[in-house]
Amino acid sequence: MIGELLGHYRIVSKIGQGGMGVVYRAHDEVLERDVALKVVREGTLVEKSSREHLLHEARAASALSHPNICTIHEVGEFAGELYMVMELIEGKTLSALIGTAALAVESILRYGAQIAGALAHAHGRNIIHHDLKSANIVVTPQGLVKVLDFGLARRVPNKLVADQATESIGPLEGAGAIAGTLFYMAPEVLRGQAGDHRSDLWALGVILYEAASGQLPFRGRTSLELSSAILHEPPSPLPDRIPPGLWAVIQRCLAKEPAQRYQQAGEVQAALEAVQSASKTAPAQPSEQRGPSTIVHRGIQHLRVKDGDVLLLVGTTKGAFLLRSTADRSRWDVAGPYFHGLAIYALAYDGRDDRHRLWASTSSYWGTYLRSSDDFGKVWTNPVEANIRFPSDSGTSLKNIWQICLGRPDQPNVLYCGVEPAALFESRDAGETWSLVRGLFDHPHRPRWVPGNGGLCLHTILPDPAHNDRMSVAISAAGVYSTDDGGCTWRARNRGIRVVHQPEKYPEFGQCVHKMVMHPARPERFFLQNHWGLYRSDDGAESWKDIANGVPSDFGFAIVMHPHNPDCVYILPVESDEFRCTADGCLRVYRTRNAGASWEPLMRGLPQKRAYETILRDAMTADSLDPLGLYFGTRSGQLYGSADEGKTWQRILEGLPAVVCVKCAVVGEPRVGRKPKATQVAAAHSSAAKPPVVKRKKRRGKLK
Amino acid sequence: MSVTFHIPGPLRPFADGRAQVKLEASVATVSEALQALWVACPGIRDRVVTEQGQIREHINLFVGNEDVRYTGGLTTPVSPGAEISIVPAISGG
Repeated sequence: MIGELLGHYRIVSKIGQGGMGVVYRAHDEVLERDVALKVVREGTLVEKSSREHLLHEARAASALSHPNICTIHEVGEFAGELYMVMELIEGKTLSALIGTAALAVESILRYGAQIAGALAHAHGRNIIHHDLKSANIVVTPQGLVKVLDFGLARRVPNKLVADQATESIGPLEGAGAIAGTLFYMAPEVLRGQAGDHRSDLWALGVILYEAASGQLPFRGRTSLELSSAILHEPPSPLPDRIPPGLWAVIQRCLAKEPAQRYQQAGEVQAALEAVQSASKTAPAQPSEQRGPSTIVHRGIQHLRVKDGDVLLLVGTTKGAFLLRSTADRSRWDVAGPYFHGLAIYALAYDGRDDRHRLWASTSSYWGTYLRSSDDFGKVWTNPVEANIRFPSDSGTSLKNIWQICLGRPDQPNVLYCGVEPAALFESRDAGETWSLVRGLFDHPHRPRWVPGNGGLCLHTILPDPAHNDRMSVAISAAGVYSTDDGGCTWRARNRGIRVVHQPEKYPEFGQCVHKMVMHPARPERFFLQNHWGLYRSDDGAESWKDIANGVPSDFGFAIVMHPHNPDCVYILPVESDEFRCTADGCLRVYRTRNAGASWEPLMRGLPQKRAYETILRDAMTADSLDPLGLYFGTRSGQLYGSADEGKTWQRILEGLPAVVCVKCAVVGEPRVGRKPKATQVAAAHSSAAKPPVVKRKKRRGKLK
Repeated sequence: MSVTFHIPGPLRPFADGRAQVKLEASVATVSEALQALWVACPGIRDRVVTEQGQIREHINLFVGNEDVRYTGGLTTPVSPGAEISIVPAISGG
């Protein structure tokens, strides 16, 4: 059917197959949107009256409008085929999320309350699900639950149920679609009664139990055994980590007599929410504090964040700190340390697609993991399996994640990670799954790349906002590589960048790039801080020009692009390769506003005596506001900020562990389709008076 | 036969909070014992070995009091009732 038109829906691809028929991804050619289209299989409808009944029920269900219910857009018949057009939901089914491992208590409560809310809404409109199970609940990457197939349950004739229930031959798996449903079937339905909304609450109890233990509450080798367990046996107790309040809710949903259960879904929702708020204030329980699949950070005064606030993410060698301020950026609330004792080399905020998601990479003896939080740090994921892993045929193991980079705003589910040993990973499902970008990993130069002092790491990822297939990365010590074909092939782009650590001074690759930036509105313009050397490219990294005109040292790590002015960048030079500290004990940011023709020191508010500081490659950043805010952290644990484009600085924090990463975001950004404002500001800046010129020191030293 | 793993604090969340995990399994080597542990406690695997199946650099495994690095690594034999300890090395900054 792929490519065919069904009404005004063009079938794009097959998504799945269920008891009732096949589900396709389709494109609505009238409303120009993607939808899910279910074609009901002939023969699943026992007789014509069932067909009409189903049409009637589906039409009734299409009137449901609730954030936790998959919307049915249309029900119809075309050329004798019955089809349903539904909201297309990207996510994983709850049954896939559970797998064989239980979910964290926090997730069970959050998902359970949403399912109960969906049931309350539908039951209030006299629509009963009849086939609620973990396989027809989808959780989106944002953690939103969507209940599918409301009112679409196959009208299983009572006789068939009775036959299945008493049939003892053959294993249960052979019983087909009905078996999947049987696990969730309430005792009264098994006894041949019609079942009512309280049968849905039984099924909810089964789902909660399944999420809490990773196992179904009632099992059996045959349908007879299973039916007997449902009718007569109590569910086995849940592990100790399940709070008694949640266990009580599950037991009441699983009361054999409907009259003994909750009578309304709203009551279940309220009960789950009560357990949720009780567990938030309860003292830390050791098993819950660190997982298994989430970590709840207790004992920290978490941030309260509003849209428009400025968020600073600070990674140190011993944990992460989160700071927030209103847009005036004068006072900062501080929360942390998160991930106590772990090294946090990469952080990011993803505000695309109305998310508020923080990302962090954590490193320790126990490996490197990518974590996310959707509530500004209260709860973080704690993956059972390492989410970024080299394929077994690569013979390579992950050492560290150096960079987490968002894809373009029009690809809100795309993320990239730059890792050590140098490689690029890509996710197309908002970070759920990751794959190695083979085009770069298989590059013929790779065996000859050599590690810099920080290891062989891919630390900079710059997707071109104007060209979907273009991206540049920087690797220490291999140099700059770019792709023009979406990552299939990569070419070294280091022409003009000098190396000091080998006899050939301008090799094709092998440059020890410390950091590289690109202007978002003029993506052909790059600036680069090398291991000795400051460079600019105006032709998309094809060629580079030395621009160290008057800096005290062209050795340094951090470099930051002014988001609104393509001629303006900020650097934090250190004295030399041997003495990787600010020269003469003076902490000074340098700025150019003429694309590197000259540089001016910015030091008001920064210590100018005995400040031998080191600022690492990812430890300086800018926000997107006007006037621009700038922030940097030092290896000695100090955090500085400026809310006026670098003119004056204040110390925001001191006494932190060594700062290795500082990232900044304005909460609620970027919105899809937001265009960076650009050139008019640039014009205003380039007319500014020429800054003082500082004498440049001779370059020297070698790569360590 | 059974084999008992001693689980360090940071990994206990992946073992239902237990400090010891006793497995009823017929295993001959450390590698086989670990495979049985991964089935019982899947979250421990990636924290102890890399994606290439090597014991992580700063993690030590002891069978009884012997560090397996000196007794044959993952092929070290395991006898019935053996106790295997997972211990992070003393290193780091």
